[in-house]
Amino acid sequence: MNTSRPVSAAPTRVAIIGAGRGGTALLDLLHQISAIDIIGIHDRDPSAPGLQRARDLHIPVVDQIDDLFRNRHTQLVMDVTGDPAMDQQLHREIRPGVDILSGSASRVVWELVRHESALQAELLHAEKLAGIGSFAAGITHDINNPLQLILGLAENLAEETDLHNVHEQAREIVDAVKRTTAICRDLTSYARRSATHQQSLVDINSKLDDALRIARYAVGFQDITIIKRYAPEATLKGNPDELLHVFVNLITNAVQAMEHGGTLTLRTTAEETAVSVHVSDTGCGIPPELLNEIFEPFFTTKPPGKGTGLGLYNIKHVIHQLHGTITVNSEVGSGSTFTITLPRASVTL
Amino acid sequence: MKEFKSGFFVGEESCNGRVLVVDDEADIRKVVRMTLQKAGYEVLEAENGEKAIETINSGENRLLLDVMICDIRMPKVNGIEAIAYFRQNYPRVPLIVLTGFPDTDMATSLLRQGVVDYLVKPVEGEKLKASVARAMEQRKLAPL
Repeated sequence: MNTSRPVSAAPTRVAIIGAGRGGTALLDLLHQISAIDIIGIHDRDPSAPGLQRARDLHIPVVDQIDDLFRNRHTQLVMDVTGDPAMDQQLHREIRPGVDILSGSASRVVWELVRHESALQAELLHAEKLAGIGSFAAGITHDINNPLQLILGLAENLAEETDLHNVHEQAREIVDAVKRTTAICRDLTSYARRSATHQQSLVDINSKLDDALRIARYAVGFQDITIIKRYAPEATLKGNPDELLHVFVNLITNAVQAMEHGGTLTLRTTAEETAVSVHVSDTGCGIPPELLNEIFEPFFTTKPPGKGTGLGLYNIKHVIHQLHGTITVNSEVGSGSTFTITLPRASVTL
Repeated sequence: MKEFKSGFFVGEESCNGRVLVVDDEADIRKVVRMTLQKAGYEVLEAENGEKAIETINSGENRLLLDVMICDIRMPKVNGIEAIAYFRQNYPRVPLIVLTGFPDTDMATSLLRQGVVDYLVKPVEGEKLKASVARAMEQRKLAPL
């Protein structure tokens, strides 16, 4: 028996009315809580975004509101329509014994959900900043190397008399400065706070390339062979900063799992409605008994001060918000593959 | 024609000594070569620790290599491993570390192992030449 978690009673069975922005957010949140069982969701508008989301999560979409009222299993109805008429109808027609959460009570719940979402965004940023500490070695190395070239060439130029050499070395200095500038640009784009609501069309393949460049600051890529198998047209609507963060995290983990070298494979597959990203390593693998825990907050195998234990937890959250899934296949001694599947067009809080 | 210089017989060209530069970045090897050649050293290059070990074990380098300048972060055989090999098998060859990342603990440990200098990039030409000159002094004192 797992002693770290309280033994839960039977889950509370909840029906949600309203599948707009509030209903979708509520659905996403409640779906993650094992003590709550969502038995159905209804909206007068059949094209409400939460209904498609519910189908993706295999939660029943109830076309007729009466069916929800009659459902013997319903214990609590949460009305997030904000419609006073719905509130009255609920109180008039619901079976006795069923609790109703509506009006100002459901507004409070909506505020709590929003608050939770803001906290998650904070946590994501905090974890990212904590991780940047580990970039110090890589950045110093990658800046000092071009600086050595610049210094050496400049010293030589002071004495160089051959005009051809002068021109060539001046050009090399300019290139070295550009390389150094690119490092700073990468870092600032990675460290900035992402605006969670902002979505744009993201080219997943080029995002993976960006992540690969940034991950090099965090971990040594010595003796790592990189294989890229990108599908063309791997694009989707999402938050580019958050996706970059997810990929940097997965690549860093993969390389860290291959202490004595190995092969990192980045693969994308594109279908009509979804794009998948597979990050594989040939490293130490994850023992089966830990596979359920790796996405838990504060789970880490790294020594104190080396990992926050929030990497995969945050990844799961970001992927979930994009209405995607993340799975892992791992074998001790052979390596791990993390697979993320994201819908082409996604909605988020 | 051979001449006797710095305690060694060398080829026809005047030579202050033979230096092996080990760095995975060709640019770094190039500027170090530039600086040292102007100071009269013969410069050999290796792109990682494995190549460095190959180099010293080939031909006359066994006898004629005077100094190794070595980076730390490199693929295959890294600097730490290469230095350990050199200390064990060629203890008379003085070693200089030239690294992009200052690490006090590593510097202390390497200096204890007998490394002549721990230089952090970017290092000025004068400082590099002074360090190599110091290593050459040590080389002359070491028994063959």
